[in-house]
Amino acid sequence: MIDWPAFFVVLVSTLVSACLVVTFYSVGLRLLDTGHGWRRPAGIACFTICALVVLYGVYLVIPYFHQ
Amino acid sequence: MVVLVIVLALFFDFTNGFHDTANAMATPIATGALKPKAAVAIAAVLNLVGAFLSTEVARTISGGLIKEGESGIQITPVMIFAGLIGATLWNMTTWLLGLPSSSSHALFGGLIGAAIVGAGFGAVDFSVLMSKVVLPALLAPLTAGLVAFLATKIVYGITKKRQRNGFKHGQIFTSSLVSLAHGTNDAQKTMGVITLTLIAGGFQAAGSGPEFWVIAVCALAIAIGTYTGGWRIIRTMGKGLTEIEPGQGFSAEASTAATILASSNLGFALSTTQVSSGSVIGTGIGRKGASVRWSTAGRIGVGWLITIPAAGLVGALAAVVALSGALGVVIDTVVAVGVIVGIFLSSRRNRVDSRNIHDEPTVLIRPKRGRNQRKADERRRADEQQVAAHTSDSPSNQSVTSNQSVTSNQSVTTNESDRA
Repeated sequence: MIDWPAFFVVLVSTLVSACLVVTFYSVGLRLLDTGHGWRRPAGIACFTICALVVLYGVYLVIPYFHQ
Repeated sequence: MVVLVIVLALFFDFTNGFHDTANAMATPIATGALKPKAAVAIAAVLNLVGAFLSTEVARTISGGLIKEGESGIQITPVMIFAGLIGATLWNMTTWLLGLPSSSSHALFGGLIGAAIVGAGFGAVDFSVLMSKVVLPALLAPLTAGLVAFLATKIVYGITKKRQRNGFKHGQIFTSSLVSLAHGTNDAQKTMGVITLTLIAGGFQAAGSGPEFWVIAVCALAIAIGTYTGGWRIIRTMGKGLTEIEPGQGFSAEASTAATILASSNLGFALSTTQVSSGSVIGTGIGRKGASVRWSTAGRIGVGWLITIPAAGLVGALAAVVALSGALGVVIDTVVAVGVIVGIFLSSRRNRVDSRNIHDEPTVLIRPKRGRNQRKADERRRADEQQVAAHTSDSPSNQSVTSNQSVTSNQSVTTNESDRA
C-alpha cells in the first residue's frame, strides 16, 4: 500500500523549505523597506538566501547535475 | 497506425501544455506580477527547456498501472491510440469547463479503459491504482494546502501592508520554477508513449531511449500548448477559487514548487495540477478576510474524481470501435476530430483569453450563458439609465448610478456562480 514514511519525509521537507523561503523573503522585504544602517545589507542577505534555495530547486529539477 | 498514434500523442501533449499553464502562471497573472502574454511566454520557454533537460523516459507507459511486459499483457498501438483519444477528449472537455484536472490522470484513465476492453479487468493492477493515483490525489492538495496556509500566515505576520507589493518580484521566480519542473515531468510522458509505440511497431530497438526528433517535437508541442494558454483554467485558478494578493501568490507558488520538487525527488509523485490547486485554496484560508469559494473547489474536486473513470470510459468506447478493424480506427479518428472541433467551436461562443482574463469570472464558464440572463442585464441597465435621466442630468449623479450598476452586475454574477 501507500508508503507513509516517504510521504512524511515529503511533507516535512516541503514544509521546511517553503516556510524558509517565505520567511526570508518577508524579512528581507521588511528590512529593505526601513533600510537604514545594518538593515540594508541584512535584507539583501535574506534575498540571497532565497535565491540560493531557488537555485537549489533548479539543481534538483535538472537530472544532469546529479547523475 | 503508428503515425496516427504519434500525431494524436503530440496533440495530447499540446492539450497537456495549455491545460497546465494555469498551475504555474495563474497566480502571477491574477496579482499582476506578470502580464498575461509575458507569463505564458515565460512558461512556454521554460517548458521547452525543461523537456530537453530531462529525458529519462519511463520504461512503462502507465507506470505499473497496467500489467505490461513479459508476464502481463501486450499493449498494442491500437490500445494506446484508444487511450489517447480518451485522454485528449477529457482534457478538452475540462478545459471548456475551466476545470483544472490532472493530464496524467486523464492519460492513465484512457489507457486503463482501453486495456480493460482489450485484455479484460485482469490487465489493471488496482492496488497500484490505489497507492499511486487515488491516495496521492487526496494527499497532494492537503499537503500543498497546509504548507501554503502556514506560508501565508508567515507572510502576513512578518510584512506590513505597504511592503507586500515586493512579493510580485518573488512570484516571477517561484512560478518560473514551477514551470520548469512541469516541463521536465510532463513532456516525458508523451515521449514515453511515442517511444514505446515505435518500439511496439518495430521501428526502434527495445529498451533504447527516445530519438532526438521525438524529444524535439514533444518539447515543441508542449511549449506551443503552454503559449496558447488555457485561459479558462487560468481564470478559475487565479480568480475563481479566491482573491489572490501578491503575498498569497508568492506563498502559494513557493509551496507548489516545494511540494513538487520534494515529491518528485523523494519518490512520491504528486500531480502538479492538484498540488497547485491545493496551494491556492490553502492560501485563501490563510489570509484574514479572504474567502474561498468552496462551490468552485467542490466542482474541481468532483472533476478530479471523475477524471479517470470518464477518460477511461471514452478510452474504452474508442477501443471497442478501434479493435474491430481498420474501419473502426478511421471512425474513431473522424469522431475524435469532430468532437475536438465541436468543443473548440463552442468555446468561441464565450471566449476567454489574455484580454478579458481579469474580468469577474463566472467560475464554471458555460458556453451557453443564458440569453435570458443577458436580456435581464440589458433591461436592468436600460432601467437604470432611465432613472438616471429622470432624477438629474448632472454628471456627478450619473457617475454614481453607473457605479451602482457595475456593483449590482457583479453581485449578480457571483450569485449565479454560487448557485451553479
